[in-house]
Amino acid sequence: MKITKQEFLIRSGLGQETLASWLEEQWLIPSDSSVETSFSDIDIARAQLIRDLQEIMGVNDEGVGVILNLVDQLYSMRRTLMTLQNVVQHPSD
Amino acid sequence: MSTDPYEVLGVKKGVSPGDLQKAYRRLAKKYHPDLNPGDKTAESKFKELSAAYALLEDPEKRAQFDRGEIDASGTERPRQNYYRDYANSEQDHPYANSSGFADFMGSEDALSELLRRGARAQANRRGHDLEFRLPIKFIESIAGASKRLTLPDGNTLDVAIPPGIVAGQVLRLRGKGAPGLGKGGFGDALIEVEIMPDRLFTRERDDVYLEWPISLSEAVLGAKIKIPTPTGDVTMAVPKASNTDTTLRLKGKGAPKQGGGQGDQMVKLKVMLPKGPDPDLEAFVANWENGKTYDPREGMAS
Repeated sequence: MKITKQEFLIRSGLGQETLASWLEEQWLIPSDSSVETSFSDIDIARAQLIRDLQEIMGVNDEGVGVILNLVDQLYSMRRTLMTLQNVVQHPSD
Repeated sequence: MSTDPYEVLGVKKGVSPGDLQKAYRRLAKKYHPDLNPGDKTAESKFKELSAAYALLEDPEKRAQFDRGEIDASGTERPRQNYYRDYANSEQDHPYANSSGFADFMGSEDALSELLRRGARAQANRRGHDLEFRLPIKFIESIAGASKRLTLPDGNTLDVAIPPGIVAGQVLRLRGKGAPGLGKGGFGDALIEVEIMPDRLFTRERDDVYLEWPISLSEAVLGAKIKIPTPTGDVTMAVPKASNTDTTLRLKGKGAPKQGGGQGDQMVKLKVMLPKGPDPDLEAFVANWENGKTYDPREGMAS
């Protein structure tokens, strides 16, 4: 489901400036059409993860970037594993 | 589950706020669900940690807890879905990054061939099935109905309820699920039907049961009375000398049977006297010899 920037700010509890800097760092990658930027549920959950890293775990900005990079690789690896599992289980597909 | 927040965070009672936060941070790093995508228990552990910390970081609440005035319940913060719930799904998202294993994808070995096949299968994967629950009225379950479901995304789905559906039955609407990828096509919508209890009717197998009151005159003299059925009112003949618990069968007024035919409606009669004293009735019964000798409790254990 598409979420407008305004709604995203409310639901994620972020300020305008924080969002701008996170977008600058590419911690968040909303889908960008020529008309407007729109967010989705995964962006809200990711923003919450970033806030947890900063506020709960005390990770600084440099650390957040490193963690997100590794987290993204971990999740991609998991998806690849799931794909492999499917191929092994249903070899005819 | 340990409910002592000190125990949950692994700290002593007199812990300083600084050490408390340190302990919480250490455990949060270890158990945050998004950092442990394969660990099903991480979410409950993390919740427990957060609730314990929420209680102890607030000096007022902590003091109240120490004095035994409040317990550790009710301090959990509401939480939406975690990132892992989305990143683990098969839906594509812009954060995927395969650079950590790209070397496995490009080579000629067996693993990369499997991965390529998986990617091709993935590219034309059928959409997911979506599951819904649909509550319907009892009458609709017997007679059938046409219902409209409003989906979470605001779209609607028209569902034809076949007559005679039973509780828990799942209707499959082909192609009404989530969109697939490439040539994969749509998944199905699976609709589990929940039948709400009815004030009048109950059902057993294909038969419908109804308890229906009749008057003393109708019971003694017989009558034609109007009876509700799930498919509308019908007229039923109550034979002379009917009684409470006399059960009459309305053929074909039950639920449709699987493989043809129709169940029946069973009508159990209940004889009702008029409300309040009635001098005429009293006079009549006083003079009614048979009524005095009849013992309805004959043969019952006392």
